[in-house]
Amino acid sequence: MEQNPGSADASPDLGVQLGPLRLKNPVMSASGTFGYGEEYSSFLDLRRLGAVVVKGISLTPRAGNPPPRLVETPAGMLNAIGLENVGVERFLSIKLPFLRDLGVPVIVNIFGNTIEEYGELAARLEGAPGIAAIEINVSCPNVKKGGMVFGTDPAMTSKVVEAVRRATVLPVITKLTPNVTSISEIAKAARGAGSDLISCINTVAAMAVDIFSRRPRLANIFGGLSGPAVKPVALRCVYEVVRAVDCPVIGIGGIMSATDALEFLLIGACAVQVGTANFINPASTVEIIEGIERFLKVEGITDINSYIGSLDTGCLFPFADDSCAVIESEIL
Amino acid sequence: MAKIIEQARIISQERISGQILRLRLHSPEISGAARCGQFVMVRLREGTDPLLRRPFSFSRIYPEDGEFEILYRVVGRGTWLMSQLLPGSSVSLVGPLGNGFELPIEKTAALAFIAGGIGIAPLLELIAQVISDRGAKGLENLRLFYGARTAAELLPEDFTRAIGIRVHFATDDGSFGFHGRITQMVEELTAEEDLLLRRPHEVYSCGPLAMQYHVARWAISNDVLAQLSMESLMACGIGACLGCALPAQTPGEPQSERFVHVCEDGPIFSAGSIKWNKILVQQMPPPTWVFN
Repeated sequence: MEQNPGSADASPDLGVQLGPLRLKNPVMSASGTFGYGEEYSSFLDLRRLGAVVVKGISLTPRAGNPPPRLVETPAGMLNAIGLENVGVERFLSIKLPFLRDLGVPVIVNIFGNTIEEYGELAARLEGAPGIAAIEINVSCPNVKKGGMVFGTDPAMTSKVVEAVRRATVLPVITKLTPNVTSISEIAKAARGAGSDLISCINTVAAMAVDIFSRRPRLANIFGGLSGPAVKPVALRCVYEVVRAVDCPVIGIGGIMSATDALEFLLIGACAVQVGTANFINPASTVEIIEGIERFLKVEGITDINSYIGSLDTGCLFPFADDSCAVIESEIL
Repeated sequence: MAKIIEQARIISQERISGQILRLRLHSPEISGAARCGQFVMVRLREGTDPLLRRPFSFSRIYPEDGEFEILYRVVGRGTWLMSQLLPGSSVSLVGPLGNGFELPIEKTAALAFIAGGIGIAPLLELIAQVISDRGAKGLENLRLFYGARTAAELLPEDFTRAIGIRVHFATDDGSFGFHGRITQMVEELTAEEDLLLRRPHEVYSCGPLAMQYHVARWAISNDVLAQLSMESLMACGIGACLGCALPAQTPGEPQSERFVHVCEDGPIFSAGSIKWNKILVQQMPPPTWVFN
C-alpha cells in the first residue's frame, strides 16, 4: 500500500498512554471474543496487538448457560454464554503462560458473584508475571448473580472497584454496561473508587423469539446484543463517559473496521476493543491496526494522540452567515 | 493442524433436487488440509447482514484438484444467498475446523452410515474414503440408511446409486422406502437374520437432533461404537465464542455440569459423550425469508 516505498516518511506513532498503561497501539481484543488468545494464533501475530483482553475469569470454573446460547439478528448477534471459563487457577497455570511467552500485554477480565470474590480474584492475579492490567466485569447481562447487578448501581460499582483496588497495584479498568439510565453516573462511581480506566460498552440486553415454535431463541431468554447494530449506542455512551470522567476511556461496541475504530478515537476514546468482528474475520484486529495506520498516513497525522478526541462539535452550519441571509431575502 | 482464512472461487453450483444444491469451490490450502467430518465457516459477502459465517461440512474433498464440495439445503436467508452464487465469484472461508471422523482401522468391519435429510453431506466423503480404502471387495457389509421427512427431500436415485454402497431408504410419511423413523428401520433390519448387519462394528451418523438422539440410544443399548456428527449455531467455529455448547457426559461423574463445544470438541462425538437428557428444545431457524 506504500505510495512511495523509497520515501523517508516514518510510520505514524500509534502508541497510547492509558493512565498507568502504555500500549504500542490502541487496538485490543474484547473479552469473551478472543478466548485466551491462543485460539487466534493461527490467524494473526498476536504480538502486533496493543493488548489481549482474555475471556472473563472467575474464582472457580464455570460451565456457562445451557444452549442455545447464541442467535444472529440483523447486523448483530445475541449471546448468552454465561461466562463459561476455566477458573483463575487453570487460567494462571495453563492459559496465561502462552501469552506471557509471546510478550503481548495481557489484560485479565474478572468476574465475581460477590464483592469479596472480585477482591479475591484481584489478589490472586496480583504478582502473577505477565499481567498488564485487570478489567472488572460489572456488566455481564447473562448471569443471575453479580455481573450487571453490580454495574447498574453506582454504590455497588464503587464497592466492587474498591475491593479490587485494595487488592492490586495493577492498572484497573472497569467495564460498564449500557443497560442503565446514566452511564456517566456509573463511570464516575468507578473512577471515584479508584479505577484507572473505564471501558464501555458491554453488550446491550436484548431478546429474540421464534414465531413458529413460539419459543425464545435463547435458553436464557435474554442475551447480550453485539456487533454493528450496537455501534451507535456505544458511540453515544463513550462520548458521555469521556466527558464525565478524568481518566482515559476504552471504546467498545460493534467495531468491525478501522473506520469504526477511528470513530471511537475521534470522540475521545484513547483505545478500542474489537469483539464480534473476531468471529467473522479472525484477523480483524490486525487489519484494523493496519487500517488506522494507513488513515493516519493519508491524513498526514504523525501521532495518533493528536487525532484522539479531536471531534469538532462547533459550527455545524457552515453557510449560516450573512450571505445566506442575502439569498433568503432574495428568494422570499 | 493449521486453520486458515482463504478466499475460494466458485467452480460450479448445481441444483441436485428441490432445495438441495451442490457447490464446488477452488480452495487449495483448505482442500489440501481437510479431513472428512471437518467443516468450514463460510462468509458469502462483505457487509453486516447476514453478519456471521455459516458452518458447512465437506461433502467431498478433492485435495489433488485443490477443490471441495458443499452439499446443502436452502433453509434460511444464509443458504438462500449461497444458492445465488455464480461460478467465478468468490467467498471467504475459515477452515478446516473440527475433529473429523475417525476411519475404521479394520478394513473388513461392518459399517452402518445413518443419514437424516441433508445430514448425508459429511457421510458422502466418509463413504468415498472407506470405499477407496477397501477396493471393490468388502463393500457388501457397508450400508447407508438414509431418511427424510418425505420422498421429495431425498436425493434423486441416480445420485444415491452413485454412492456405491447399498442404501436403505426411509421416509417419515412413507412416501418412499420404509415408513417411519430411520432408527426404527435400523432396529428392524438389524434384528433380521442379516448376519453382516445384525451387529455393525461401527455407526456413523449425521442428521437432525432427534435422529441423533435415537441413533445414540440404539448404539449404546446395542454396544456399538458410534460417531455422530452434530450441528449447532456458532459464531466463530474456532473455540472462542463458546456459543455452540452441548451438555456433556463426564465418565464417572453423572452429576457434573459441563459443556462440550461442537466446533472444537466436535463436530464428531461418541454417543456416550453427550448428556442427551439435558438438551433443551432447540429449533432450527425457520425459513422466515419466505415472508420477508
